[in-house]
Amino acid sequence: MFSRDAALTICETVLSHAKAAGAEDAAVSVQSSLESHARMAANRITTSGRAEDVDITATVWMGRRRGSATGNDSAAAALKQLADEAVQIARVSPVHREYVPTLGALEYQEAGGFASATADVDLDLRAAGLEAVLAACRTAKVTGAAFHTARASASAAATAHGNRRYFRSSEAGFSLTARSEDGTGSGYFAGDHFDLARLDSRHIAEQAVGKAVRSRQPKPIEPGVFPVVLEPQAVADLIGFLASSFDARTADEGRSAFSAKGGKTRLGEKLFNERINLYSDPMHPDLPAVPATGEGIPASRLSLIKSGVLENLEYSRFWAQEHKREPTPGPVNYIMESSQPPTAVDDMIEGMERGLLISRFWYVRLVDPRTIGLTGLTRDGLWWVEKGRISHPVRNLRFNQSVLAMLAPWNVEAIGAPQRLSPFMVPALKLAAFAFTSMSDAI
Amino acid sequence: MIAGTCVPVWADVYQPTPADDAARAEVAEVALARAAALGASYADIRINRYRRESLAARERQIQNMSRSMSYGLGLRVLVNGAWGFSATNRVEPGAARAAAEQAVAIARANAVLTSRKIVLADADRVVSTWTSAFRRDPFEVPLDTKTAFLMKLNETALAVPGVSFVSSQILFVDEQKYFASSEGSRIAQRMVRTYPQFTTTAADRASGDFQTRVVVDRAQLVGYEYVEDYPWQREAERAGHEVVEKLKSRPVAPGRYDIVVDPSQLFLAIHESVGHSTELDRALGWEANMAGTSFLEPSDAWKLRFGSAIVNLVGDRTQPRGLATTGFDDEGVKADRWHIVRDGMFVDWQTTRELAPLVGQERSHGCLHADHWSSVPFARMPNVSLEPAASEVSLDDLFSGIKRGLFVEGRGSSSIDQQRYNFQFGGAVVREITNGKLGAMVRDAAYQSRTPDFWASCDGIGGPATYRLWGTSADGKGEPGQINAVSHGCPPARFRQVTVLNTGGPL
Repeated sequence: MFSRDAALTICETVLSHAKAAGAEDAAVSVQSSLESHARMAANRITTSGRAEDVDITATVWMGRRRGSATGNDSAAAALKQLADEAVQIARVSPVHREYVPTLGALEYQEAGGFASATADVDLDLRAAGLEAVLAACRTAKVTGAAFHTARASASAAATAHGNRRYFRSSEAGFSLTARSEDGTGSGYFAGDHFDLARLDSRHIAEQAVGKAVRSRQPKPIEPGVFPVVLEPQAVADLIGFLASSFDARTADEGRSAFSAKGGKTRLGEKLFNERINLYSDPMHPDLPAVPATGEGIPASRLSLIKSGVLENLEYSRFWAQEHKREPTPGPVNYIMESSQPPTAVDDMIEGMERGLLISRFWYVRLVDPRTIGLTGLTRDGLWWVEKGRISHPVRNLRFNQSVLAMLAPWNVEAIGAPQRLSPFMVPALKLAAFAFTSMSDAI
Repeated sequence: MIAGTCVPVWADVYQPTPADDAARAEVAEVALARAAALGASYADIRINRYRRESLAARERQIQNMSRSMSYGLGLRVLVNGAWGFSATNRVEPGAARAAAEQAVAIARANAVLTSRKIVLADADRVVSTWTSAFRRDPFEVPLDTKTAFLMKLNETALAVPGVSFVSSQILFVDEQKYFASSEGSRIAQRMVRTYPQFTTTAADRASGDFQTRVVVDRAQLVGYEYVEDYPWQREAERAGHEVVEKLKSRPVAPGRYDIVVDPSQLFLAIHESVGHSTELDRALGWEANMAGTSFLEPSDAWKLRFGSAIVNLVGDRTQPRGLATTGFDDEGVKADRWHIVRDGMFVDWQTTRELAPLVGQERSHGCLHADHWSSVPFARMPNVSLEPAASEVSLDDLFSGIKRGLFVEGRGSSSIDQQRYNFQFGGAVVREITNGKLGAMVRDAAYQSRTPDFWASCDGIGGPATYRLWGTSADGKGEPGQINAVSHGCPPARFRQVTVLNTGGPL
């Protein structure tokens, strides 16, 4: 991976070529990455590999005409070609009415989410860890399929107006699906961390294997509207659709769940349960993120939902300029937590008269952007709860459920402690009602 | 804008010369030799170059014009029964030797995790070149011709009263692939794809209501002639009228309906319920941790009824214009065409050299694919297509005899479970059928069924004149995730008594 000096030198070189070719403004980004992975299935290794690559993008403007070119060759001649090509595209482009001059010099916080162990995977150590997972699967008489991944990258960016930034980040993840030998039970669990050394594959394997064993021989139930406890993984499977709904421009244009009648937005409305807070924070100790937005704005804590109120929408640099305000310093991650002390999942179950305990969702898709209405299915562990205890596993179900209704003031009964499932930190949720529309035969 | 201007460096820089080809072949030989010296019983390498040109417009302006190029090598080795893989963007002999050493080290470290010896089905030694069919190289068409196309498309849709927004994109992809294996195959291929798409939106600011109509999934393995020959402007005008009508239409009444599914939607039902369920790696549990398994068991071929007797589905990597069409797959197996479902019976799998022997087959159907030089090749879907009826059956013929039904066109949201049983598909445009006649549009409709029930309920399939090719350019599978482009040809078809939901929420 490129050092700060090496990456910024490439940026400077491309900038100077762009300027020489006639660019009036320019932004250059450089990323180098190294990814290592191992896949297992049917209780054995299937594929394993590593890949290194670089990505260099030059975006230039001349007379507000924009051109952009990307390559993966950092040789001197290739850098000149890249800059020249971006300039030549700009020359034949129409005027870009949404041009905003590139950023000048800015201060960024120090990025925290990098561990060198993640960038340099010890192959024998990894194999030993995976062998322990396979042993746990064989002992429990389940068939394991797993994915172990570690990725590290270094990113730099520079603009013609003097912005310079360089960040390193890393991400390691492990997930296991365990299936019972009779094919009637399946369990899944996943975890991730920026530091490979802190990825607990043993704990993940225990959870997945336990779910597989406990979910065998599920009984069918008629679909309907039920109280539910969503484990953090199930919340993470849905929350991305909420996370992608905060764009201010879409809301202002009347085509988002946060658009209101009469051309307004729903900013300031108490749309969610009053205990719910959702924010972005690059300095979060458990989920540190690159301290800059995709556009290079220094990231800082940004509250999106505060005590159930829609507090902020996300403003790009262009849309902020149109509205004579500052662009938002994020989001760069999403942390959902309760204003009150968290409730443990066991306590949520204990307080449930009847309902479902849900491990995860699968193939979730947006069916109605007006309400963030989603469809998808339960997968890898679904249990019926009766009188405060888990009664028996049940067949998977398809749901059709609006996220706005799911998190509405009247529907959220308890909130757990947030868990890292990058790029989210999400809690378990106990909900009064969740709508299921059909049964699935899938295990 | 300068009229008719090509960006000259593009053609000059990225068209490989004979010297480039020789250098590439040399790097491949170095990597294979090093892998063999280190004890690999088999090795293959892909040295690929991907060029992309992307243009995007919203309303009356171009938002993005960009190009990208990516070049690199990916080496796969088999050592003591375990695979190892290493990829780098540095295509030179030193990096190739290092990649071989890394791939072998990975395979050796993982040997403790193997439980069976990998056996590859026999494959012919191939030395060949292949280029997809296209008349006009999109990369030689001036950029302003392309921007003019997008601007006219948007203008046409915006001219329809009530249309609030239009976004459109066009992407051109040029894959130049070189394959070499330790068994002596040496194959150079080139594929050119063209991906136009657009979305119209109607928003009623007073009520806060809005609807969209997407026109996507029309990507094909063709050149710029696709942009010039197809009536895109007529499609844009139609999409404008349809989104306005959709915003005013009434919500569907949920219930059971006879449905006729247009190729623009049926292709996706085929993709999800047939394409994925008949991947042998899924049935063997190899994808259990992500995409899932299959309701089909490895022993089901020739034993299990998949649909009604009129249903015939073929896997076909030779289909003209098909996104998954190729000369040879990513381990050098010649493109194949074979029945997956014949007369309603499930008869065969999608296979690779590693998979075929596991169901007793001597030859692979040629489904190995890597989406990039940096990706591990694995089993990916070929074009899977529904054969038309032998005689001419029109859309009206399919409507006739339906008392209360729906006609479903285009792509809405789609979702299917991890064994490919339970699915729910929305359409972009859904209209009522009453007493055999097409009627008013309805909104918020999605049909939901179970794969074997759905295909068993098929009692009408359109004839050859109604056959259309659609395709998806972003089919996800695997870990790390890979994207595949794949086409599905089909006529419209009729399905009896299918559950239809109203997916609209309260505003």
